[in-house]
Amino acid sequence: MATKLKSRKKIDQKRERGGKEPKYYEVFARKDSHSELAHVGSVEAPNDQLAQVRAWYIYDQHQWREMCVVPLEAIITVTEEGKSAKIKMA
Amino acid sequence: MVYTPGNPGSKLDENFENDLLAIADTKLVLGNWYAECTMNGRSLPDFAAILGMCTANYGHTRAIYQYLAAHGHEYDHVERGRGPEEICSSNLLDEAPSGWEDFIVSTWLAELSTWMLASGFLNHEDRAVAGIAKKIGQETYFHLKYAHGWFQIIGEGKTQSKLFQSAFAVRFPLSLQWFGPTRGKDPLHAAGIRDVPLKKLRDAFIKEVAKAETLLGSALEHDKSIKFAKDWRSDARRFGPMPDSLFEVVRFKDPGLAH
Repeated sequence: MATKLKSRKKIDQKRERGGKEPKYYEVFARKDSHSELAHVGSVEAPNDQLAQVRAWYIYDQHQWREMCVVPLEAIITVTEEGKSAKIKMA
Repeated sequence: MVYTPGNPGSKLDENFENDLLAIADTKLVLGNWYAECTMNGRSLPDFAAILGMCTANYGHTRAIYQYLAAHGHEYDHVERGRGPEEICSSNLLDEAPSGWEDFIVSTWLAELSTWMLASGFLNHEDRAVAGIAKKIGQETYFHLKYAHGWFQIIGEGKTQSKLFQSAFAVRFPLSLQWFGPTRGKDPLHAAGIRDVPLKKLRDAFIKEVAKAETLLGSALEHDKSIKFAKDWRSDARRFGPMPDSLFEVVRFKDPGLAH
C-alpha cells in the first residue's frame, strides 16, 4: 500500500498524551442561540488545539452553533471540594 | 442521494476546469492518505479526528466532481474512469509517508495548498463554486488546527523536530511547485475567473507555512526557488503520472458502493 506509514508506530506517552496521566477536556456545545450551553462529553488531548479538533469530530451528532472545551484541571468543584470533577468519556 | 447531471451543454473555461480538478484530485489522494493512516493515530479520539478529515476531503472531491458533471463531464468517468496518467493530484502526496512527522508535514501542506488555491474562488460569480470554496475553508480550519496541535508536540522532542525538518525539506518544494512557476502565465486571473492572482496565493501560502515556526519553536529551512521537472504539466499541476502503487490505493474499486 502506497500510503501506509513505513515505520512502526511508536507513541511517546508523556509527550503525545499530555503528561504522565492522560489530559482531559470537557466539551460544551449549543445547537442554536436559544439553547443552553450544555455538557456533551469529554475528550483526551495533549493540548488545546488537538482538544478542539478531536471534540469537533467526536461530538458531530449536530451542526453545533457553538462548541467549547474546558481543561478538566480548570474545573473547581463546589459540592465535592478537593476532589476531581467526574468526567464522562466519549 | 440522487445525482442529477445538470446541463451538459454549459462548458467551463478549460483552465478553470483544470484548477478544479487539481484541487479535487489532490483531495481525493489526501482523503485516502487519512483513510490508510487512521490506525496510526495516537488514541481513539485521534482516530475519530483523522476519519473526520478523511470524509471531509472526500466530500470536497465529490462536490467538485459533481460540479464538473453538471458542466459537460461524465460523473462516472471523472470519479471512476480515469487512469493514473489522467489524475491531477499534487506530486506532494505521491510518496507514502515515512513516519508520523512526515504524515503531519505532508497532510498539513496538502490541506494548506489546496485551501489557498480554492480560496481564489471565494468570490466566483457562480454561487455553487463560491459555496464549495467556502465549505472547503470552513472544514480546512479544523484540519490545519489538527496539524498545529501536532506541531507543538513535535517541537518538544529533539528527534521528532529533526524528522519534521527532513520531511519538510522534501515535501515543501513539491507543495510550492503545485502553484506553478513564479513567472508563469495566470490565465484564470486574466480572464477574471479568479479575482486573486496566483502569485498572491503562492505568497500567502509561503507566509502561512512560516507561521508554523512559532508553534514548532524552530526555523524551517527551505529553498523557495523551485526547479521544475522537464515533464511538468501546468494543466495538471504535476509532473509524470501518478505512481501505479498509489493509483491502486485511490482507484474506485467497487462502483456498486457509490450508490
